[in-house]
Amino acid sequence: MAEEQGGKKLDPTEQLRSMRDAYMEAWAKTMGEYVNSEQYAQQSGATLDAMLAVSVPFRAAIEKAMVNALQQMAMPTRPDFISIAERLTNVEMRLDDLDVKIDRIAQAVTKIPTQAPTSAGQKAPSGSVKRASAKKSAEKKSAKKKGAR
Amino acid sequence: MPPEIVESKDFLAMQKRLQLLTKTLTSSAQVALTPKETVWTLNKAKLYRYVPQVPKQQRHPVPLLLVFALMNRPYILDLRPGASFVEYMVKQGYDVYLLDWGSPGPEDKHLKFDDYTLEYIPRAVRKMKALSGCEEFSLLGWCIGAILTTIYASLRPDDGLRNLILLTAPLDFSRKEQLTFARWVDEKYFDIDKVLATFGNMPAEMIEYGAKALKPVENYICNYLRLWDNLDNPQVVESWHAMHTWVTDNVPIAGAAFRQLIVDLYRNNRLMKGELLIRGERVDLANIHANLLSVIAESDHITPCCQTESAVAKMSSADKEIYRVPGGHIGIMAGSGACKRTWPHLDEWLAKRSQYSQTNFAPPERKVG
Repeated sequence: MAEEQGGKKLDPTEQLRSMRDAYMEAWAKTMGEYVNSEQYAQQSGATLDAMLAVSVPFRAAIEKAMVNALQQMAMPTRPDFISIAERLTNVEMRLDDLDVKIDRIAQAVTKIPTQAPTSAGQKAPSGSVKRASAKKSAEKKSAKKKGAR
Repeated sequence: MPPEIVESKDFLAMQKRLQLLTKTLTSSAQVALTPKETVWTLNKAKLYRYVPQVPKQQRHPVPLLLVFALMNRPYILDLRPGASFVEYMVKQGYDVYLLDWGSPGPEDKHLKFDDYTLEYIPRAVRKMKALSGCEEFSLLGWCIGAILTTIYASLRPDDGLRNLILLTAPLDFSRKEQLTFARWVDEKYFDIDKVLATFGNMPAEMIEYGAKALKPVENYICNYLRLWDNLDNPQVVESWHAMHTWVTDNVPIAGAAFRQLIVDLYRNNRLMKGELLIRGERVDLANIHANLLSVIAESDHITPCCQTESAVAKMSSADKEIYRVPGGHIGIMAGSGACKRTWPHLDEWLAKRSQYSQTNFAPPERKVG
């Protein structure tokens, strides 16, 4: 298809393409101005109103019939599912809050010191008290043995 | 003669092109491939954490949370390997989180900006802080995500927000003559009560039509001609396919949130006037003190520059920058030039402000775009 002319290939489709692009550019500009006008806003609003005016009664009738049919069959309806979904979301939020509280408690627990405090005024944990009294009784026993000898 | 036609080179090439065209138009591209894990969910929302790809010593300590718009899927931020902002930031050493709003169902029609900004974002932030171990964080909001992050930043300034990045943020709706959407949703022409009474949520198809109708010839004709012209170029086809997958994958907006967007923002410009009430709290842009980077797309037909500049001027951040990028609303972050212009700038700006040593909001160095 292409012809050789002056060392350069001539492609007729390239010319058609540039014509097409120029046309598209001009069209895009015109359409851009049109959609940005009051006239378009008015027309699109009127179209939407007309569409809703036609579809709303049908949708309402179908929904009503569906709810009646499902209720007759003792089946859950769309509003029932919506209500359950809303309740689930609330439960999820509470769980999320609980999750955070548990994390905080877990962090607080890990921060509690496990070693016996060294300062004089502090109460020693029960384990160390037991160990201390056991040591004292062992010392008394050894003293009695020494006395007996 | 017919057998010769069938075997001819031109015919086979044309057949191949048509097969590729059909495949591209009728299938979904592989998107959002950066490795991630879901770390938190609430209702339809999910918080993803992207798997780090650099050693811990080289990572930035301050995590980054990405918040996208309500009506599109957030994987535009992680479109495809090599063309993914998320992948880029993860490779730069950021701890990246993405908040995916999901698709609202009929039960979510009552969800408002109030819920998104004071329930979902704070909870996601709380989880992110717990996982990252860092009390401060960076927040990036894009399009309506930028509205949500701005409201959050204004109402919860002490939540640890160190850096706020706003991409093509529609915050000021005062210049209605420059806003095509504002004209379309004017109360004279658009009956929002009737639409929401019928559908509950704003249907995704109507949002997609609205976005495409802003530039009808480009979106409905030129876009497909560009694919046809470049069918022999696999890179262009791959890129087009991924973008087409995203553009046609919209989600509805929760009815109450859509009503706020139209009535409070587009019609009454309450955010800029300081009259926007979120759960009784007034949203004051002057409450925003975090380091601020606002990115404006110079050829943005959805959010013109005027919608951001005046709002940024009202914010109290000492460290403030407006960065202008050539390109459109989506192109600045997902176009072919994004990895050369926008992403490196975001990384450069954020890296300086994502270190442990910085304890206040003072910038390391001040730049004015």
